[in-house]
Amino acid sequence: MAETSMTPAAAPKKKSSLSALDARTRKRNAAETRFRMYGMSAIAVGLLFLVFLFASILRSGLPAFTHTVMQIEFILTQEQFDTAESKMLKTGEYQKVFVKALTEQLDASGLDVGFDNKAIKRIVGKPGGTIRSFFLENPDRIGTPVSFELAASSRVDGYFNGRVTRDTLVDSRFLMATDLDLVDALKEAGIVKGAFNWNFITGTDSGVDNPGGAGLGASVIGSFFMMLVVLFLSLPIGVAASIYLEEFAPKNRWTDLIEVNISNLAAVPSIVFGILGLAVFIQFAGLPQSAPLVGGLVLTLMTLPTIIISTRASLAAVPPSIRDAALGVGASKMQSVFHHVLPLAMPGILTGTIIGLAQALGETAPLLLIGMVGYVAREYPEGFMAGFTEANSAMPAQIYTWASRADPGFYEKAWGGIIILLLFLITMNAIAVILRRRFERRW
Amino acid sequence: MDDMRVVERKVDTNEVKIAAKDVQVYYGENHAIKDVSVEIEDKTVTAFIGPSGCGKSTFLRCINRMNDTIDICRVMGDIRIDGEDIYDPQVDPVQLRAKVGIVFQKPNPFPKSIYDNVAYGPKIHGLAKNKGDLDEIVENALRRGAIWDEVKDRLHAPGTGLSGGQQQRLCIARAVATEPEVLLMDEPCSALDPIATAQVEELIDELRKSYSVVIVTHSMQQAARVSQKTAFFHLGNLVEYGETSNIFTNPVDPRTESYITGRIG
Repeated sequence: MAETSMTPAAAPKKKSSLSALDARTRKRNAAETRFRMYGMSAIAVGLLFLVFLFASILRSGLPAFTHTVMQIEFILTQEQFDTAESKMLKTGEYQKVFVKALTEQLDASGLDVGFDNKAIKRIVGKPGGTIRSFFLENPDRIGTPVSFELAASSRVDGYFNGRVTRDTLVDSRFLMATDLDLVDALKEAGIVKGAFNWNFITGTDSGVDNPGGAGLGASVIGSFFMMLVVLFLSLPIGVAASIYLEEFAPKNRWTDLIEVNISNLAAVPSIVFGILGLAVFIQFAGLPQSAPLVGGLVLTLMTLPTIIISTRASLAAVPPSIRDAALGVGASKMQSVFHHVLPLAMPGILTGTIIGLAQALGETAPLLLIGMVGYVAREYPEGFMAGFTEANSAMPAQIYTWASRADPGFYEKAWGGIIILLLFLITMNAIAVILRRRFERRW
Repeated sequence: MDDMRVVERKVDTNEVKIAAKDVQVYYGENHAIKDVSVEIEDKTVTAFIGPSGCGKSTFLRCINRMNDTIDICRVMGDIRIDGEDIYDPQVDPVQLRAKVGIVFQKPNPFPKSIYDNVAYGPKIHGLAKNKGDLDEIVENALRRGAIWDEVKDRLHAPGTGLSGGQQQRLCIARAVATEPEVLLMDEPCSALDPIATAQVEELIDELRKSYSVVIVTHSMQQAARVSQKTAFFHLGNLVEYGETSNIFTNPVDPRTESYITGRIG
């Protein structure tokens, strides 16, 4: 301040002009501009990666949500039903009815392509079984027109998705070049078409050679039960531990040690928690293998440090004047915490918990170690309690299992699974943001 | 504002409310209060003055054991309210604080409605049997806090939305709502403008009728205006304690004289 030219006591100094920038100011402004450019380019690079990521996920994953079906309508007479049921190879008879109907419809469309039973088998598998079980369950539909929708094989799916082309196709027992002529014709006749693949969302895992039948439903249920365990264990334990450490515990060497170790636990690789869960919960405590209960326990251990750290941070952010005010009117320590501090810290605690849960939802490695691998998720649990104890998988483990399978159809399913997983994570984060906005109070 | 009021005011002598004897306070190694003995009277405003860091706030916080919340703080000696040792192991600090209210330097209303701010103390101490009782307690407290007229139409608006002076009077209302016998004030006007300060000072004079008020202040004019007794602290020692008019017009200790004439502090 003393050196300004306005000070009369200062030595005679050349008058500076405000309209001309001096070298120092120019340099400072340039540095500021440069820094702003660095920041903006960093954000641009980040956004670019994000766009690239989302584009590639959508491009590879969306085909998993559609599949190719062969839709065909025909009438099965009582006579045909009785004949078929009296035969030794019953499904073969139904297959004949199906092929006959298919031929008729192709003829009616004026398309002339020859095909045999084997080609049908390569395109839609063995429809005879599906047809027979339908009529056994619904005998009243015999003699009335019934429309069947049969899922095409993954190679045919791939042909329509562009994954399989005529150039790359090598004739095999899975698909022949001639079959492609047939499906093209069937498509022209409107018999083969694309449809939304509900089975991918509601179904269970399929065999390694049947990517078309694979669904994520059972694993979603597995993840759901795991998250229930994580929420109901880690939230009360984590919040109780943080309130004690932050508000009640004396500050001494022991609490320092506990604090350091909680921070360290947050940085432990998740696979360590997995092998710990295997040793303690399954081998020692004898809990069932592959059970969402065990997965939930392991993920609880993993989530606890996250919840404790964020809860302590939000408790510490409540101004001490609020505690003083409560103590000053004669509230006990516990009353001051539960009536005043905790409500103010609630948005932070909820946000931390949901972020912890989202982290747990995407965790794969520990689940693989306790046996929650994808191929376990072959059926839905029977009942609510069974959801905790029956062997199941979880979304990320299911995705991992699909990605490691040989059939390229599963590759597509893995990407599709990632889209569903991301939808869940985005929903959870949105809930965290909404809760924070909702409960936020100023003081 | 008019320093001449000091000499004109009649000083009553009342019975002793708070008696402190040989009080020592340590913050870890730091000896913050040294051998302080003082007798504070009932229905009197007692001002603690002194330069920053002299221990006046620390001593004030000993009177309702707010220092218990500081881990490294140790209090020794004897402080009695109505003859009862407040540091006796049988005394529950929570009960003590209901009896000895405190108002802090910075207005710190709870982030709740004006009504809930005042009703909180009576609620946790079970002073109201029903909603009607509570409404009455809240109204009385707000009236005694000289803020009723300003807030009676918006009792359910947030307390944090009031102006600084209003917030501080709300805090005073909150403190008197629990029916304390002693009211401690830790620089209650330092965050307020002169008009709000005048309002609070008027209020303090009013409160003297029912309570023993102890006020820590940096402003000697304020001490002269509101208090009947003044204690001057310096470097952890109680240097001089006596009637306000005597302290300001005829100090005994040279340190007191230097402080009130502005040579130290």
